[in-house]
Amino acid sequence: MPVRVVESSTLSQVSDAGPGQTSPQVCTLLSVGQAFSGTQNVSNQQKDEAWRVNVRIQGCDLDHGYLCGTMEALNVPMADTPVVTFWEGEIVDGKNYTFFTGKWEASPEDDIRHWTKFPSFQPFLGQVELDGGKSLDLSNYPYIFMRWKEQYFVNVGTDCGLTIAGFYYVCFSCADGSINGFYYDPNSSPFQKLELKSTNEGRSGFSFSSYELQ
Amino acid sequence: MPTPTSAPPHSAPDFLSRLASPDPEIKLKALRDIKNQIIGNRTKKLSFLKLGAVPAVASVLAASLSHSPDDVIHNIVVQSAAVLGSFACGFDAGVRAVLDSASFPHLLRLLSSPDDKVVDAAARSLRMIYQSKLAPKFDFLEAKNMEFLLSLLNSESENVSGLGASIITHSCESGPEQLALCDAGVLKKLINLLGGTLSQRNASLESLAAIFRGNPDVVSKFVEGSKNGSEVVLKCVGSEGVNALTCVSELTKDRNLRTRLLACECLIVIRNTCPGYLQDIGIKMKLVNLLIELLDDPGQVGDDAPSVFSSLITEKEDMQKLAFEANAVNKFCHHLQKNQLNPKRLQGVLLALSDLCAKLESCRLAFLSLKVLNSVTDALTHDSADVRSAACICLRNVTRSIKNLCAGYFMNEMLVIPLVRLLDDPSISVQVAALGAISNVVVDFTTRKSTFVQCGGTKQLVQLSKSMDSTLRLNALWALRNMMFLADDRCKETIILELTASLLASLIAATSTGPEAFPFGMTAPTFQLQVSASVKSLKRSDKVYLIVNLCSFGILTADPEPSIQEQALGFVRNLVDGCAKSIEFIFAEDGIILDAVGRQLQSASKAEIGIQGMYVLGNVASGNEFHKEAVMHQLLPQVDNGTQSFMMKFLQSNDSRLRTAAVWAIVNLTFPACPGAFSRVVKLKNAGIESQIRNMVNDPCLDVKLRARTVLTQSMTFSDGLT
Repeated sequence: MPVRVVESSTLSQVSDAGPGQTSPQVCTLLSVGQAFSGTQNVSNQQKDEAWRVNVRIQGCDLDHGYLCGTMEALNVPMADTPVVTFWEGEIVDGKNYTFFTGKWEASPEDDIRHWTKFPSFQPFLGQVELDGGKSLDLSNYPYIFMRWKEQYFVNVGTDCGLTIAGFYYVCFSCADGSINGFYYDPNSSPFQKLELKSTNEGRSGFSFSSYELQ
Repeated sequence: MPTPTSAPPHSAPDFLSRLASPDPEIKLKALRDIKNQIIGNRTKKLSFLKLGAVPAVASVLAASLSHSPDDVIHNIVVQSAAVLGSFACGFDAGVRAVLDSASFPHLLRLLSSPDDKVVDAAARSLRMIYQSKLAPKFDFLEAKNMEFLLSLLNSESENVSGLGASIITHSCESGPEQLALCDAGVLKKLINLLGGTLSQRNASLESLAAIFRGNPDVVSKFVEGSKNGSEVVLKCVGSEGVNALTCVSELTKDRNLRTRLLACECLIVIRNTCPGYLQDIGIKMKLVNLLIELLDDPGQVGDDAPSVFSSLITEKEDMQKLAFEANAVNKFCHHLQKNQLNPKRLQGVLLALSDLCAKLESCRLAFLSLKVLNSVTDALTHDSADVRSAACICLRNVTRSIKNLCAGYFMNEMLVIPLVRLLDDPSISVQVAALGAISNVVVDFTTRKSTFVQCGGTKQLVQLSKSMDSTLRLNALWALRNMMFLADDRCKETIILELTASLLASLIAATSTGPEAFPFGMTAPTFQLQVSASVKSLKRSDKVYLIVNLCSFGILTADPEPSIQEQALGFVRNLVDGCAKSIEFIFAEDGIILDAVGRQLQSASKAEIGIQGMYVLGNVASGNEFHKEAVMHQLLPQVDNGTQSFMMKFLQSNDSRLRTAAVWAIVNLTFPACPGAFSRVVKLKNAGIESQIRNMVNDPCLDVKLRARTVLTQSMTFSDGLT
């Protein structure tokens, strides 16, 4: 059963941007409409298991460090159909969000334990230990760090036997659009790895759509 | 129990005959009776108006002015001026009738009468007229007029000085007018009126807002220049060293609710004009809370409070956040649920909610959790066009919630059907507002876009994309473009069938035409000459209609509005995205759409057009060999006409978004493992494009830099063949 997380004050949210702290640059591979596919390793001590996963970006607001989309798990054992969830993402930009989560039962130690799983995070470790990385300028870094939190099930009821209580630590590569992530939920197997690649839906190249809200 | 019968009332025609009586006493009695009948009674005003009472009273006034004054004549002048003022009070039809009756100059003349009663009656009537938008504009830049205005403001009479203030509120619009008033010393006089009667105080606050609006120089003069300079200021705040701004701030605590509202409005105008002033969190919170409180007033103050509140928070995310924290969403939603709100208040509440939901998702979620969406959809069918429009704007801002769009929350018949009906609304502003909401609703990420098609929405949007009005065309195309986002093939087919490839091509760019396309065997130049001769005699809106319709027959040039061309290209970009089969849409009717894209890119007037157009080409270039070659044909035309290729221009653009879009097309054209990739790499190299890409590997934009490197990596696969 999904457990509703009561949001405490958002420690990770920084209200005032200091000098040199700018939003990550636009990366077209992480824009609305882009699709990714891959797997989430859900192995535990009893057995090895991986679910196929598709992700689609549906909304992006870099000024507010916001990203959202859907995640579809394909071969979920206890579900008859693929299970689609809607998630919202926090982009670590030092302005809206830092590397410290400050909620969802994640302590700074949990944060650092997960972020350090990404080799591209290593240059920032020292500074993040000091201040969560709020003084870092990540605007020209070819990786984008995010947290993705599933908010609701799109096509199944909450009684589907699955949980979306946790969240993902995510690292996106601007160069090739690959995504690596680790699911964190104190009540689930640790370090479930999410690996996704940008998909091109049978094309010989990349295609980009767009919408503009009024 | 029997009650005494009242005297039978006079019929309206009887009043008219009494006004025409040669006996001055009868005239005077008739005027008094009319005044008593119509005062505060809109229905009576209307019925007297229909019978021609205003011209009759105007004649009485005009005739009396030519008589030698005695007591009765004097009273007739006073009463006829008063009656005209009553007709004009809060009633535009009355104002129009008074202006049409030519009494306005007579009333102005009466202001110079030696008799205070006459002056007062005339000033009161003129004030009523100046409270209407229909009143004539007063030219402050005429020296004589400024002198007259100052004389009004200097008057001891409450109505006369109030008239001066009303003239300013009504007529002061431009920067030069604001400065002229300021230089003439009007600010000081208005500050003095702040210490006058209730009516003078309120009139002064309104005038000050009009003089300040959008003019930082005048605001600075008011704030800085009035320090210690006015007794009123001292009286207001009780100490020296403060300025008139503090005085206006103090008036937000006045006992009178209208004074509080006007003081709030004045402070908001100052804040919006000079963002340096009134930034203290305390004053911001005070304004938010005061305006929320004033909403509870059942009268006109409560009706006006929402629009003043909107002016405080519109476009200001920090203010919207403060208002949200002050529970404003709950408060306005609570009002929305009250029955029988008058149209002005309902419109204001809807617009205030739309401003609250403009930027913050927390406000939208709070709004949706309060279950007031039904009240907003009810307002979509309100009698007042302003209310219908406000309801659409409210929905537009609420439907910016991607979280709820993703849940398919808005794509339901309860919301979509009334919105689609409004696309036929007689008011263009309502149609435009409805298109704004529809543009968001149709983004819908679920599979429910068919709901919109089934409601007849697509047909309506296509019709409006051919409208004479360019705003309607733009917004209709915008909605179609958003609807096309991640649409399935069936939905795409439905839309393109309705829109047709030729109309779409004509909205993008000049359509290539053979001689057979022109009517009556004319050649292209002859036909265009004849059309341009006819067009010269048309109004602008008719010209646009003619152009669009000629375009739809593949005859004339592109839609004249660049923003429409941009949306049309955005539409095509989404059309050819998705499954690879979708690319075929652009090759319908001998590739008329792709050709139009190529032509538009040759002459793109702004970066946004180039960006959308390059993504169209990039998406097509992600297809098969045929698709890639078709794009190559657009990029590198066979005949070199001596002009720089648009691709080279875009790669060198200052706009990183345009450079990114252009490089993506090259990434797709050089995509490895495609049979024709080598040949395309050679052609691009020969056209100098590869060399340009080499210059971009250290582009300041990370996205461009990474894509340029991808192109070079892909090209290196063929490096042996290139040497």
